[in-house]
Amino acid sequence: MSNTTQSPLNLPPDPRQQRRQRSLAMMLVGLGLACLLLGALIYGGRAALRWLDQRVPDRPLDGGTISDAQELVIAVSPAMKPTFDQLVQQFNDRARTEGPEAPEERPLSVRTIELSPDKMVEQSLDADPAFQALAPDSSLWFHQLEQRWQATLEADESSVIPIAHRRTSDPVRYAVSPIVVVAWESVARELGWPFEPLGWQQIQQKATRDPAFKWNHPSTINASGMLATLAEFYAGAGITRGLTEATATAPETLEYVRAVESTVRFYGEGEAVILERLRAEGRDFLDAFVAQEQVVIAWNQAQSGDRLVAIYPAEGTLWADHPLALLELPTLNEAQQRTYRAFVSYITGDDAQRLLLAQGYRPADLSLALDSPGSPFAETDAVDWRQPQTTLQMPSQQVIEVVQNVWWYTKRPTNVILVVDTSGSMQDGDKMVRTKEALLAFLDNIRGDRDQVGLIEFGTGVKRVEPLRPVTDEGRSHLENVIRALSPSGNTALLDAVWEAHRQITETGDPEAINAIVVMTDGLENASNRTRFDLQRAFDDSVERRIVVFTIGFGRDADRRLLQEIAETGGGQFRLADETDIEELYRTISTYF
Amino acid sequence: MNRTRWIFVGIVVVALIIVGVSLAVQGLRPDDGGQGPSQTEGGAITVDRPDDITVRVITALPVEAWVTNAAAAYNATSPTIEGVPVSVEIVAMDGLTALGRFDRNTFGALEVGITPEDLDAAGRAALAEFPTAWIPESRYLVELANASYKERLGRDVFLTDGEYRARPIATSLLTWGLYESRARVLQTEFGQISWNTIHDAAIARGGWPELGGEAGWGYFKLVVPNPNKNVAGLHAMIAAAGEYYERPDISTADVTNLEFQAWLEELMGAVTDFSSASAYTAEDFALFGYSVGDGGQLLEADLLLNMEGILTRWEDPINLYYPRYVTWFDFPFSVWVGPETTALEKNAALDFQRYLLSDEQQQAGLAYGLRPANPRVPLDAIGDSLFVKWQNRGVEAVIPRADAMRNPDREVLLALLRWFELNVAE
Repeated sequence: MSNTTQSPLNLPPDPRQQRRQRSLAMMLVGLGLACLLLGALIYGGRAALRWLDQRVPDRPLDGGTISDAQELVIAVSPAMKPTFDQLVQQFNDRARTEGPEAPEERPLSVRTIELSPDKMVEQSLDADPAFQALAPDSSLWFHQLEQRWQATLEADESSVIPIAHRRTSDPVRYAVSPIVVVAWESVARELGWPFEPLGWQQIQQKATRDPAFKWNHPSTINASGMLATLAEFYAGAGITRGLTEATATAPETLEYVRAVESTVRFYGEGEAVILERLRAEGRDFLDAFVAQEQVVIAWNQAQSGDRLVAIYPAEGTLWADHPLALLELPTLNEAQQRTYRAFVSYITGDDAQRLLLAQGYRPADLSLALDSPGSPFAETDAVDWRQPQTTLQMPSQQVIEVVQNVWWYTKRPTNVILVVDTSGSMQDGDKMVRTKEALLAFLDNIRGDRDQVGLIEFGTGVKRVEPLRPVTDEGRSHLENVIRALSPSGNTALLDAVWEAHRQITETGDPEAINAIVVMTDGLENASNRTRFDLQRAFDDSVERRIVVFTIGFGRDADRRLLQEIAETGGGQFRLADETDIEELYRTISTYF
Repeated sequence: MNRTRWIFVGIVVVALIIVGVSLAVQGLRPDDGGQGPSQTEGGAITVDRPDDITVRVITALPVEAWVTNAAAAYNATSPTIEGVPVSVEIVAMDGLTALGRFDRNTFGALEVGITPEDLDAAGRAALAEFPTAWIPESRYLVELANASYKERLGRDVFLTDGEYRARPIATSLLTWGLYESRARVLQTEFGQISWNTIHDAAIARGGWPELGGEAGWGYFKLVVPNPNKNVAGLHAMIAAAGEYYERPDISTADVTNLEFQAWLEELMGAVTDFSSASAYTAEDFALFGYSVGDGGQLLEADLLLNMEGILTRWEDPINLYYPRYVTWFDFPFSVWVGPETTALEKNAALDFQRYLLSDEQQQAGLAYGLRPANPRVPLDAIGDSLFVKWQNRGVEAVIPRADAMRNPDREVLLALLRWFELNVAE
């Protein structure tokens, strides 16, 4: 049955009305289709944009490559670098094995660069430093960094409460180690260890009264050097706290510090190199040196024979507290922050903490007891986990800066001659340019008012001799001009040049100063009149002046064997460098003076 | 079709096109996250639901470990708000640091009249990291943050009443922590442990031997957190002022009094090192032991939490001694009420707040040395309670003979910070 209602007249349908109905229906269908199309456009576009958004991972804000942005670069102090690298290696291996949390993410990755703490501070103030996190040997560098950072900021008067805008996140400590005087057991016993309380004063007295006593502390660019210097200022001022600018610069304090510093054999990079040289030269190299307690454990674990022991200074010491913090950089991306958090979690976690303990550090994980069986602190009297009893008071940043600056005027003076190869082969690539930059950097780091620098340029023969001269403004400017004018040509008369440098120092150098020659060559000896035996004889004849020779082989073609022999003749070190690191090497060598 | 009908159809088509284009423009905003035109001020209206919600809580360091574990437990329950999955993320930050960031607007709160829809892609992406809630050490930090935003926006950003009001989630107080051997010598010499006793020990020129202690201990070393890094450092100085004046409210005139400043300077002269003191002062105590500090006024929860480490690493135990003038931290859970976060996020934050106040989580807080905000939970509610474990170290359930220090106002804080910068930090 149909339910259609028909007209009672049963008339045929009007053709015009039928056309109108058809056009209306078509119009409605068209409108419907248009709406559907529009809807499809909207949601299709949104879906496409979402898909694109998901496909693009964290982009670095600085426009760097994606792989760069995933990597977290941490600047590490030289003494901790070997251990830190082990931890980083384990972290990276684990991150690679476990893979990222989300499939679109890349594995977390950390890379380290080695920098002295003072350089970390300096570079952290740059707008775009080469690292995003830093791990110096002590928190005192963070304090210095923050003070210098605040000085660059304008005061905001509208602040409700002027809490400083810091350059770094809250640091995390992963290990600590007190700074101690490290001595051979026989030397320590002679001083009264372990029955007498020993302090900085006993060491300093021993050094000033016994000319045969050889001791060393690093320069003030790392924590142990800074502490040793502070301890001298405290001892000189006759106090153990409240060091002020006035007491630090009092004439009697400076006189005391100068007397003690004159007994320092050399300064240098820190404990890693000292251990290397102890291994190479044995018991006669040094009697005592200032370093972290960890050095004692590491040495005694690895070596048989004479033991090292830790003397915890009775007046007090400082701690190398190994902080790690992230720089608050606007260019830091989410991936780097995630990597930092993961690395902090790893380095404060059980595996890393046990590794640090095994290597002689006191781990930050307080649940790890130092005297438990298997701990390197247990069953030894070379170190004592109950020590130190007290610390020296860390003065304010202003006083620390005064101590750092005054140290240049009290430190042992230096006479150093730079022996520079400007033979024809130095024309290759950027060798000459980099050498000049490196020499200028070296000169910049020599700041003592009693320090003298000379320069000998050699090729087929000795081309130029700039005698030792004080590094005053005038002397510095003159040497800078000489360095800028260096020009490569000729052969390589290496031995003649070193012999001439030795003659210069023997004739004009001060026997009380650190006398040194820094030699650099990129080739093979082929033009000298002197022989290595002549050189050996010359050094043997001037043994009372203790002239130290550092040799640098620049590039692959340098005569490594001869350079090694020259360094041994002069009781110094041989190092290799290329265009990328020669400047840093010269800077490093400058820390010995 | 006659002309009238053409006009009618034309109007309908134009209207449809306008509506369609409008929808297209809104729908094509790339950083919408699928929420569409969802937010008005206060985030009350949502058209589309987000796929999930992340509640970011900036958390003061003394409660961070507890809150982080609670967040993990909360997340494990697969919580939802109106059917949307929620996860809680904890960002550890000292209260002063967080206040500084709010004050400098580092988190990126929007200016008056601006809504998230007005932002470009980068602005919206930055807003995704905006904190949903803040747990500072003390209520007065919330008030200071409000004061900052009142100047900028003309309104509070953390409410003090109503549904979203700040609620304490736990409490703790500043108390003396001293190595037992040192405390005994001080008690023999001076009687009770107080700021005046500490001051007298600090100025002893002969150090510990003059006080009756061992020569190897050096001079008396006080531990005070760096006031620029740790709220407790600022409060320790205020507590010292309270005892100096023998009253719980301190004014700017009190702080600028020259005699008081000389007394305070002598006291601060016994601090070994402000430069390396981290925000985790009681942890420093455990790491460096009596070599850096014989004692100091620190947060009870921090001391209790690090007691085990102190006993593990050093031969001498630490004991707690309660001061006459007590500084309380109440850790208020404060929800941000601006348009930067959605209503769903705010409600999810409140849900987490309720979770923290539950009996179970309040009991868990006892294992972190925190006193429960929930009055139903006693201090000995669980076996792991540090208040039970360290009873022999002097911890007390009821604080004896104490006056609570009043929260300082902004001017007092500024005066103290300025004095510290000029006389101690520099």
